[in-house]
Amino acid sequence: MENLDYARLQMAFTLGFHIIFACIGMVMPFFMVVSHYKFLKTRDPIYKKLTMAWLKGVAIFFVTGAVSGTALSFELGMLWPGFMKHAGPIIGMPFSLEGAAFFVEAIALGFYLYGWNKLPEKFHWFTGIIIGVAGVASGILVVSANGWMNAPSGFDFINGEFTNIDPVKALLNPAWFTQALHMTLAAFVATSFGVAGIHAYQIYKNRNVDLHLKAFKITIIIGTVAAFLQPISGDISAKDVAKRQPVKLAALEAHFETQKGAPLYIGGIVNEENQKVTHKIAIPKALSFLAFGDFDAEVKGLNDFPEDERPPVAIVHYAFQLMVGLGVAMVLAGIIYLISIKKKSWLQSKYYWLLFIIMAPMGFLAIEAGWVVTEVGRQPWIIHQVMKTKDAVTPVPGMKYSFFFYLVLYTILALMVTWLMHRQIKSLNQKLD
Amino acid sequence: MLYVVLFFLLFSLLLYVMLGGADFGAGIVELFTSRKNRSHTRDIIYRVIGPVWEANHIWLIILLVILWVAFPVYFNIIVIYLHIPLTLVLLGITIRGVAFVFRHYDAVVDQSQFWYNWLFRIGSFMTPVFLGLSFSALISGKIILIEDHPDASFYEFFIQPWLNIFSLLTGLFFASLCAFLAATLLIGESEGKAKEHFSKSSATFTIILVVVGFVLLSYGYSFDIKFVRDFIENPIAIGSVILSGILLLPLWKFIKQQRRIASRYMAGIQVILILFAAIVTHFPYFIITAQQEISILDNIAPASTINNLGWMLIIGGSIILPGLFHLMKSFKMIKILEKS
Repeated sequence: MENLDYARLQMAFTLGFHIIFACIGMVMPFFMVVSHYKFLKTRDPIYKKLTMAWLKGVAIFFVTGAVSGTALSFELGMLWPGFMKHAGPIIGMPFSLEGAAFFVEAIALGFYLYGWNKLPEKFHWFTGIIIGVAGVASGILVVSANGWMNAPSGFDFINGEFTNIDPVKALLNPAWFTQALHMTLAAFVATSFGVAGIHAYQIYKNRNVDLHLKAFKITIIIGTVAAFLQPISGDISAKDVAKRQPVKLAALEAHFETQKGAPLYIGGIVNEENQKVTHKIAIPKALSFLAFGDFDAEVKGLNDFPEDERPPVAIVHYAFQLMVGLGVAMVLAGIIYLISIKKKSWLQSKYYWLLFIIMAPMGFLAIEAGWVVTEVGRQPWIIHQVMKTKDAVTPVPGMKYSFFFYLVLYTILALMVTWLMHRQIKSLNQKLD
Repeated sequence: MLYVVLFFLLFSLLLYVMLGGADFGAGIVELFTSRKNRSHTRDIIYRVIGPVWEANHIWLIILLVILWVAFPVYFNIIVIYLHIPLTLVLLGITIRGVAFVFRHYDAVVDQSQFWYNWLFRIGSFMTPVFLGLSFSALISGKIILIEDHPDASFYEFFIQPWLNIFSLLTGLFFASLCAFLAATLLIGESEGKAKEHFSKSSATFTIILVVVGFVLLSYGYSFDIKFVRDFIENPIAIGSVILSGILLLPLWKFIKQQRRIASRYMAGIQVILILFAAIVTHFPYFIITAQQEISILDNIAPASTINNLGWMLIIGGSIILPGLFHLMKSFKMIKILEKS
């Protein structure tokens, strides 16, 4: 493998790591303020304990997200100096706003963490809201910068030079809204199901059911609402990609030949050399309908694009299938939860809790898969149809070592955070017993 | 607008050096503290920097964003030629950040605290050292640009600019500056035995700072490092440094009189003077490579970008600075409005 491959692997790995911590750090504050609000209303000490437990989680995830985010802001330049040199001045706006939002979040976190019994109750609670809102704003802004890579705008590209730069137009690029909506909802679905799953496990093990049931309820309600909204946002995204990046749509559907009334493939094994998809279920005309709202619309195939402008097909197709499949699974789990509100007897069943334990990591898997779809699906471009990834990579040799360095560091970090969370829950149960 | 952006660039640099520096310094003070003093050091550090340290480090991100948005040429040189030391800076930031949180938020207090403590201390020490190494590489005229000498070796491009005696001295100088700031800050937050201890370490780190600074300048001067030569021959720069040295006397007096606010201001003024001296020497030519001096004002981002960034910084600053001030005041970092 070359320097470029290792640089890409490193970027994929560090972003894949950061995305999980960032999502949790973004959504968990909302759980915390809901529980805090219930405590202020009912004065039930269980809610206070829950709030404090989630708060510790927020603090740990915030810091891990913050340090991996700091590393990323360096890495963007250290791995892709060719990209940052030209793109930096154009997409500076989302990043400078993100810096501000992140700052607000850190200030609010300082108040919230250290403000117990020191600040007026309502103000203290409100600083918790600010943590969440600022976190979501940061996420949206970063995704907007990513949207620009998919839908570059706000400049003219003449003779290899970027001129007439309009930072506002670059921020509000055609992809920002669909991507930001999809990512924000995904963060809510994944984190809610993740946290709900952890509490489901505690209920399954019959530990402090009272507290964990309250925690499960708060998280699963938020998760269900987000999971129901996600397919709508997915549909908007797909239609947008169909219009803007037809080659990406073709790759994620493994659609090789241009066709009117194109079928939708579910599953299937892609053979890129023969351009065949085997073992699939084909739904006639469904792709044309989903992409363009018309059963007979023409969907461009991969063969309509020059060979050196096509993304890897198989990996994008599999990742897309995985993401959609998991999304559907979470909608179904949400429906099961809704039914269980009426059918209380389900709550006594071990299988009910087992289901939510299994669902815990699924949202994050879906996020990683979706991220592969959008990033690998954009290849070979780093800026869609403007700059290729290979032209942006650093001239510093030895990215192999850099990649392994981050691999080891972040793996240790992930293990430590997991271990810490485990201890957190264990001691929470002990304190209550 | 360019000057607004430049102002925020220098302002974030200053705040990062002072606030982030005091955070790193707290870890360095803890690293060089005898075992019997460690437990109160650890507790006081938690109380003093706990609420604010995350915000302190965002100045680095703001600094970085301003560089890459407005000064892409500078950013490009930094990220290419300082890849290795910056990776080590990131390692330091990561381990000290997570170790700090782990040691205070781990639900179980056991043997693992030993590791958290050491990671925090080592991370706190290595980060400013490698930041200093990186900074000195930019000004010492050792960077060889690929376009100037395409045939130079990996070692010449990516290692020797930052791995040399001058850089090491700069790294140590920055680390001692951090420790000096932290010790001076911690005196005002402690009582009794702890206060005595921090007063002693403040004095020790001041002496180390002055000695390392002196060796750094003499070494740079005798080995003909252009930046140092210009620095010493610039009356304003050398005057500022001498003034900051003289100000050590009133600083010690304030510490003795237990005037903690005045002593903090005095320490802050000293850092400003040192930074001012370094900036005034070579403005706007902050990057000196083996072949050329590169102005920060050349090849900057187009006016539309600079204007936009300037407004963002003004708006962001007007939201953040009052919030930050309030946070520091709430947790007694700043005591302007109170009588000491």
